[in-house]
Amino acid sequence: MSMHFTMAWRNIWRNPRRTVLTVSAIAFACLVLIFMLSFQFGSYETMINAAVQIQTGHFKIQHKQFHENHNIRKTIAHPDAVAGILDKTAGVAAYTFRSRAFSIVSSEDRTYGALVIGIDPDSEARASRLPDLIREGQYLSDTDTDKALIGRLLARNLKVKIGDEVTLLGQGRDGSVAAAVVTIKGIYSSGQDDFDRAGLHIPLDYFQQVYTMTGQVHSVVAIVHSLDRVAEIKQQVQTRIQTLETGNLLIVRDWSEIMPGLKQAISMDLVSGLIFWLLLIIVVAFSILNTFLMAIFERTREFGVMMAIGTAPSRLMKILLTESMFMTVVGMGAGIVLGILVTLFFQTRGIDIGGASELLNQYGITGRIYPKLSVLSTAVGPAMVFVITFVAALYPALKVRRLNPVEAMHFA
Amino acid sequence: MHTIRTFLVMVSFFLIMPGAGAFAEDMSARDLIESCWDYMRGRASESLVDMTIHRPEWERTMTIKAWTKGRSDSLFFIKAPPKDKGNATLKKGNDMWTYNPKVNRVIKLPPSMMSQSWMGSDFSNNDLAKSDSIIQDYDHTIESTHTRQDKTVYVIKSMPKPAAPVVWGMQRITLREDFVLLEEIFYDEDLEPVKQMTTQDIAPLGGRLFPSVWKMFKTDTPEAYTQLEYRSLTFTDDLPARLFTRSSLKNPPR
Repeated sequence: MSMHFTMAWRNIWRNPRRTVLTVSAIAFACLVLIFMLSFQFGSYETMINAAVQIQTGHFKIQHKQFHENHNIRKTIAHPDAVAGILDKTAGVAAYTFRSRAFSIVSSEDRTYGALVIGIDPDSEARASRLPDLIREGQYLSDTDTDKALIGRLLARNLKVKIGDEVTLLGQGRDGSVAAAVVTIKGIYSSGQDDFDRAGLHIPLDYFQQVYTMTGQVHSVVAIVHSLDRVAEIKQQVQTRIQTLETGNLLIVRDWSEIMPGLKQAISMDLVSGLIFWLLLIIVVAFSILNTFLMAIFERTREFGVMMAIGTAPSRLMKILLTESMFMTVVGMGAGIVLGILVTLFFQTRGIDIGGASELLNQYGITGRIYPKLSVLSTAVGPAMVFVITFVAALYPALKVRRLNPVEAMHFA
Repeated sequence: MHTIRTFLVMVSFFLIMPGAGAFAEDMSARDLIESCWDYMRGRASESLVDMTIHRPEWERTMTIKAWTKGRSDSLFFIKAPPKDKGNATLKKGNDMWTYNPKVNRVIKLPPSMMSQSWMGSDFSNNDLAKSDSIIQDYDHTIESTHTRQDKTVYVIKSMPKPAAPVVWGMQRITLREDFVLLEEIFYDEDLEPVKQMTTQDIAPLGGRLFPSVWKMFKTDTPEAYTQLEYRSLTFTDDLPARLFTRSSLKNPPR
């Protein structure tokens, strides 16, 4: 038993150059796959986090009917009770209250329909990136009342600058006319055109006053510590909210339900990634198959001699498979180690993507992407390489069984 | 000579008859709608209306003073409740302005707002303005007629003309031979009914028979509706043009 291991090990190092080439091909495939997968997962996480930190949060609590038709009357009547639940739920990093109403927004000479969003400046800063997105002017402070932040594109459409006045005209919760004049304090740009065109943010207290909905909000937006735990935390919150007085009217939805487009974009990107890996693996498979086959041709005389001195074809086959296994294991080992090292290197440094990717820009990512090493991203690539090299090795190994010793020994 | 001319007229009349028949029917449907709209709108009018927005869990009533002139000018003032008093809307042609006393500003509404709901009601700005769109942008055919209380009632199907800038896929209008509007149903592109308006309590009002209650609701939620109830209505031959200017928004005439 141990003899064919020894023979296999010696065989592969009899032609070090050939072995090193094969091993490097396998190692390289593993390295690339580990890095690519980690990069892809990392970019998705960056994408999701960037997107949720602009608008939706990791999950969001709303009145069931508000979610359906954005009827201003369908509020969360006791936001503090919901806040109490979130305070007690482990894993929730931050949360904030928001209200919104579709209104007519008018500057000196332009009028647009837009979303007026009431935010609590303090907790909003913890739960979203809004303060970081301010490109001109300043973020809202706690004492501000009739001040507003406005999206870059809406500001451009309305032709307003910092310090200009904008008239809001909408409908309050009691059906009355809601009207206010606010001064632009800051202009934000998220990179997401929809968001930058959609609306303007005013302090929540002021919103509640203008739209006559004192003490009530439309949504509670929460951010969690780890993206992997969103589903679990959402479930917990959902269960606990049912115990509230009006809890059965509320609904908790996570980012993938709020932004199905983002989820679909990710799935599509994943599929195109899969196709790329598949091509890569096919190339690797053929190069491995080629080295193995070449080895057989070069060593035909050797096999003939071995058969002539009584080596059974099955044993020869075993030796050949063991050889390929050794090379695969060494290659995979080296590839995994290198892959992890390279990925970890970029995971700490980040990769500058500049304005390269339109898809990413659309979700507000313009800076660096950090690959994310995980058990999954480390295991999937090498596992595929293992399967493919085994299949590639099987063909020459089976071919050896059909060799005729005499002919083989005379093989030129 | 005379007989020859008569003969020629007769022949040409018969020759164009089939086309003329369809044309006449088409014209009469269009005429009915046009006469109905003119009848309901009058040359100029002044009215006081209670608008009730009813929802299953909530209800709110506003009192509105309205002036209309011709086919395209109108001016609305909210009189009550006190919170909304002084809000005003002016429509002139296809342009529309709204005024809010709290912020003391006149805002010009973009044309896209014309099909939006007015003051959160089930009526759109277009509905309230009884806009001419129905006459200009639709082809009309009389679908059926029947008799109700000794009066002929016409059901007219109005399909939008190709490329007409309208939001509805079809409208079905029911009106009486004396041009009193009874019902208007709005359909989407799949010809499913979306919302409908019915009128009730037809009584002498402003010197003519006029429905004093108008009710608009979405077809699938009849329990949520908006009702207009005329408290008073006067038709006049004319109103001064200066009434329908932006300065009237800030200074309501009486």
